[in-house]
Amino acid sequence: MKINPGFVEKLLNRFIKEELSKFDFTKGILGLSGGLDSAVCAYLAARALGPKNVIVLIMPYKEMFGRDVQDAKDLAHRLGLKFHIVDISPMVDAYFAIHPTESRILKGNKMARERMSILYDFSEREKALILGTSNKTELLLGYSTIHGDMACAINPLGDLYKTQIRQLARYMKVPDKILKKRPTAGLWAGQTDERELGLRYTKIDKILYQLVDLKKSKKEIISERFPKKDVEKILGLIKGSEFKRHLPPIPKISMRTVGHDFLYPYDRDK
Amino acid sequence: MQSRINCDNFFTMKIALAQISPKLGDLEQNFQIHIDYIQKAKKKNVDLLIFPELSLTGYTLKDMVEEIAVDPRTDPLFKKLVGLCREMSFVVGFVEEKEKGLFYNSAAFFSKGKIIHIHRKIYLPTYGMFEELKFFGQGKNFHSFTTPFGKAGMLICYDFLHISSSYLLFVGGSEIIIAISAAPGRGISDDDGYASARMWELMGEAVAHFFQSFVIYCNRVGFEDGKSFAGGSFIYNPGGQLVAKSPYVDEDFLVKDIDLEEIRRFRKNRPYRRDEKPEITLEAFKRIVAQYED
Repeated sequence: MKINPGFVEKLLNRFIKEELSKFDFTKGILGLSGGLDSAVCAYLAARALGPKNVIVLIMPYKEMFGRDVQDAKDLAHRLGLKFHIVDISPMVDAYFAIHPTESRILKGNKMARERMSILYDFSEREKALILGTSNKTELLLGYSTIHGDMACAINPLGDLYKTQIRQLARYMKVPDKILKKRPTAGLWAGQTDERELGLRYTKIDKILYQLVDLKKSKKEIISERFPKKDVEKILGLIKGSEFKRHLPPIPKISMRTVGHDFLYPYDRDK
Repeated sequence: MQSRINCDNFFTMKIALAQISPKLGDLEQNFQIHIDYIQKAKKKNVDLLIFPELSLTGYTLKDMVEEIAVDPRTDPLFKKLVGLCREMSFVVGFVEEKEKGLFYNSAAFFSKGKIIHIHRKIYLPTYGMFEELKFFGQGKNFHSFTTPFGKAGMLICYDFLHISSSYLLFVGGSEIIIAISAAPGRGISDDDGYASARMWELMGEAVAHFFQSFVIYCNRVGFEDGKSFAGGSFIYNPGGQLVAKSPYVDEDFLVKDIDLEEIRRFRKNRPYRRDEKPEITLEAFKRIVAQYED
């Protein structure tokens, strides 16, 4: 699962540069959470496009992520990126004042979609293309909010497992304080991905790599001393989140239908 | 430099590989890219310039296949290309409408003021991320044809990964095997470049060595629909030795002299060609095929 980070960096830089120029954008925009994935994406974007062409949004909810906000600001300064801080508390609170809930999931999803909505608004204001920060691990597990943190124009990190992103981050010299943080989706204070998933990323990624990249069967993987309950849990998460990795299905009625046999690449004529 | 009429008149020739990133679905712009490279190659006295698979159209065409297809006998851009190949030969990749409504992933060899051969891709990958059989008809033959530089054969991408393709060219008399490609990179490890690059280089080396031919592989670069084309074009000599190689991922214009006399040298030393028995292979194939149960 080890990567050659120099080659991967070069490849992703080229991808970012090329995709933006295809659609006549010079600037990219992304949400900076203070966590690892968005930090790596910011580093890549800064090198691919030049710091002047990268805008980052820091979108805290109340005082919940004080340290992350500071880390995100430090990172933006360090890379010389233009940043905006947009407090999402008034919008989120206004909604839940009308439709109250105690559910942390509902609140977390609302925050993720609020951030998405602001990113798209700023994308238009700044004429900047949105860079996603979802990694392969969370895309496969469905550990993300549909139309929330998953929403973007291009997703440079989408084929790298969390542990591979960590390797890339070390190579790109992302500060230690970000590298050493426990990964969190930021849905509520004190949440960590690994506690919620019940497994460490190192373990998850090893199993995903066997299942997805090497196409091994469940039986084979279990026979290689991966615990049955872990493998089954991961398989369950993959299957249960299939819908998040597709556009909504359309019932086919006509001779030629979007999503069925109206087939073009997204960069048609670009 | 004088134009070269036949291969007995010279031993060295200049090859150029255009490791480009065509613009997806834009014939006019890609034509312009071709013209630029042809002019660049002419300035360097190149004898044979190779472009990658579907160099005039881009690769991930899907439903655009039928919109961008041309008939090379009548297409005005092809007429212009024919006008440019009197002193220099070149190979381009394009979508061919061979008959009304029949589309092929094709390669054309331009030389001496005409198209001297068209190869239609036979092995159309349709698995994983590939879906060529959905959009293209299958070619039917591997031809060795006469060029100003000796007998040559053309293969397109996945054709080259089937060893029988190169074998048929070898048996047919090819001394130069030209493989044009739009091969996406796959698999990362702690090595440099994509894991899939090894597959192409291994085949290049083996084919060159055992079929004692020059193997000229031209791959493309750039991204389409998220796929990253891997580059890494190369030339092997008839002894299986690497003569030149382009970088992975980046655009490149590789120009290299090759010594055609090496074909004779290697074939004299190890008479694989002389000792090859295609008639035995043919009889064995007949028996194997006759025994198929379904």
